[in-house]
Amino acid sequence: MSDEFAQFQEAFFEEAAEHLAIVEEGLLALEQQPKDLELLAKIFRSAHSIKGASGMFGFNAVTQFTHKMETLLDLLRNGEKAVSPPIADLLLKSTDCLKTLIEAVKSGVAVDDEVVQRLAAELASASGAQAPVVPQKQAVAAPTQSEHQARRYLIKWTPPEWLFQRGLDPLQVIKELNGLGELSSVTLDMSRVPDLAEIDPEKCYLSWELQLLTGKDLKTIEAAFEFVREDSKLVIEEREALSVKRETSESGHDTRFTNDDQRAEDGAPKPLGAILVESGVVSPAVLEQALSQQKRVGEILVEQKVVTPQQVEQALQKQKQQESATQTKKTDTASIRVDTAKIDKLINLVGELVITQSMLSDLGARFEIKQLPVLLERVAQLERNTREIQERVMGIRMLPIGTAFSRFPRLVRDLSTKAGKKIQLVLSGEETELDKTVIESIGDPLTHLVRNSADHGLEPPEERLDNNKSEVGTIRLNAFHEGGNICITVEDDGRGLNRDKIVAKAVKQGLIGENDKLSDDQIWPLIFRPGFSTAEKVTDVSGRGVGMDVVKRNIEALGGTVSIKTVTGKGTTFTLKLPLTLAIIEGMTVRVGKETYIVPLLSILESIQPKDGTIKTVVGKGELINVRGTYLPMIRMYDVFVLEPEYTNPMKAILLILETEGERVAVMVDEILGQQQVVIKSMEQNFRKVEGIAGATILGDGTVGFILDVRGLLEIARHGTPIAA
Amino acid sequence: MSKTALIVDDSPTMRQMVAFTLTNAGFTVVEAEHGKDAVNKVAAAGKMDIVVTDLNMPEMDGITLIKELQKLSAFKFTPILMLTTESALEKKQAGKEAGATGWLVKPFNPDTLLKTIAKVLPA
Repeated sequence: MSDEFAQFQEAFFEEAAEHLAIVEEGLLALEQQPKDLELLAKIFRSAHSIKGASGMFGFNAVTQFTHKMETLLDLLRNGEKAVSPPIADLLLKSTDCLKTLIEAVKSGVAVDDEVVQRLAAELASASGAQAPVVPQKQAVAAPTQSEHQARRYLIKWTPPEWLFQRGLDPLQVIKELNGLGELSSVTLDMSRVPDLAEIDPEKCYLSWELQLLTGKDLKTIEAAFEFVREDSKLVIEEREALSVKRETSESGHDTRFTNDDQRAEDGAPKPLGAILVESGVVSPAVLEQALSQQKRVGEILVEQKVVTPQQVEQALQKQKQQESATQTKKTDTASIRVDTAKIDKLINLVGELVITQSMLSDLGARFEIKQLPVLLERVAQLERNTREIQERVMGIRMLPIGTAFSRFPRLVRDLSTKAGKKIQLVLSGEETELDKTVIESIGDPLTHLVRNSADHGLEPPEERLDNNKSEVGTIRLNAFHEGGNICITVEDDGRGLNRDKIVAKAVKQGLIGENDKLSDDQIWPLIFRPGFSTAEKVTDVSGRGVGMDVVKRNIEALGGTVSIKTVTGKGTTFTLKLPLTLAIIEGMTVRVGKETYIVPLLSILESIQPKDGTIKTVVGKGELINVRGTYLPMIRMYDVFVLEPEYTNPMKAILLILETEGERVAVMVDEILGQQQVVIKSMEQNFRKVEGIAGATILGDGTVGFILDVRGLLEIARHGTPIAA
Repeated sequence: MSKTALIVDDSPTMRQMVAFTLTNAGFTVVEAEHGKDAVNKVAAAGKMDIVVTDLNMPEMDGITLIKELQKLSAFKFTPILMLTTESALEKKQAGKEAGATGWLVKPFNPDTLLKTIAKVLPA
């Protein structure tokens, strides 16, 4: 590998991951429309790109394996072979294998060579006998002649007439020859140049006769004519007869047949198998067959009684463990690919920012009070610049959620085969954009939900037919924006949650009492409790009671929520609600006494000044306020956070009506200060979790402001437990 | 004035590597994702000193691109190098017929790339 290119490895891994996704997606789509040649061409191109780029880094295992896939894909693409389910299956498996291979070079862990070899053999035999024709080598192994022995060559060269038209210059060739040794004579033959009137200035009518004294061999001299040789009249003669000694390469004992073109290029002898295939003695398929009968090291050692079968077994186990360790090892892609247009725009904006800044410092140097309007205008401009830069920078982190969805067609396909169910997956809203961190973190929870739907939610085909449903079950994944949030739904048209089973299980686990009267909305969330599964038998897919609690935990860690809607016999919908980004929110700053708080703008419905008689105190429920006929719980902020307020009389203060998850609450503050974007700093990381506070931020004057957690406030309103600040 | 090179490859990694090598060698580089992109960029950039193109690309493949470039008077004598893998070598002939100057087999290292360019590009 070239060290200079090593820095591009990361880019390769990223690109390869994209290509692998394209290949996988394409193969799955191909099962539906096996004759789609355009799709095949696309898959082929992706495989081809992986092969080409991996070769640049010397990832030979990847290159070779991809080459085999490419060979088969090429046959499919050219219509020489039809796409059949076994072939699609083989290609999908190979894609997995390729993924593992790439993962292996990335993390530097060894791969189970046996799987690779087996798949490679399968690919080769699927490609049929005519497939892996070893490509003709351009530069054949250069014989290592003694180089110091200078010889004199006579070279007669008539280049093709189109030489100039291809952008070639004969002088370049002659210069290169001169670089090989000493050009003792150069004779130009102009006899073919026609009369001036007939000359086509774009054509080459010249010939040369050259004498070259060099220690280099014939091949090297010919290489100087590389791009013109085939179309030139070229004679190279050795003038002083010296014994030409060519080293013949002895074919070794390596019986492996590989497509390793590199070997030949390096001048290494070709494997015996390759030579046999090339000379047509055996077909590649026969060779692969023979190779597949080769015994494995373990078997041979056992036969020779060097090791016991148990020892081999142990070693294999160890290998397996290493293998699975590789697979579970999560590789974070720390880089992000950004459209250059986005970056150009950012650079422009930064330029504007610099201009504004210099205008401001210019103004500051000789400021007079009458210039105040100018100052304010410039500050407003600064604010516009900053806000736009901020938006653009955030935009860089935004990716379409499709990248997280792309794994599901394959997953569902595998699940449906495994569970013997017919499942159709419908994706929508793939273009919805959200923060990269969020996308990366929702993959696993979504996988759990989809698995859950496929395994528990959807019924087997017979049961569906009995219930007058279509034999094919449907799982829908949808993503859309709702306010400042993104909603992702996982919906199935299966049997729905079984209330009785959940209640029975919950009672058995002591989560609820036998006689508790609970509403459906209180029952469903029980499935998110750790260790909770009502599946009668544990399957390979789900039912171990691990997962749903993890789903909930992961989503909540992202500041999101999970909700369930289910109708018995009709299906279940899980809705994940996630913040668009984790770092910045649009907030309303409010004042209570001397403290400033920030209320997330999205949760504010309205602000009112209550009239006399609209506030009532109800025993056990605290204060309620009548807003246009609806009573809402009222919270005095100064009570919750134990502050000294300006107003204790609600008629003088301001009430913010806040809403979260369909519930509303009125919060009493002294004054509304204004609207601004705030950067969230975590409380947990810097201090500790405080009920009713979602985080903190630094305000314009440098003081700390707390961001209200509306949900937490609601809890406080419900339980009436104010906490001391 | 530095020489200009047009690099056409649908693989960003390959493009970056070729661009890196050529930039280090003092070229001013224009990158294009595929043939169509290249044709558009050429329309904006005008003449180039050398073109290095992949063959297998979406939208417009390398052979078609070479044919398109041949139609432009500014590219009539511009050397065009094809980047191919071993398995695509049979396309070499088609590329030559279309008007390509030479070819370079992937994988290659910076040295061979620059040497091959030196072969076709008058210093």
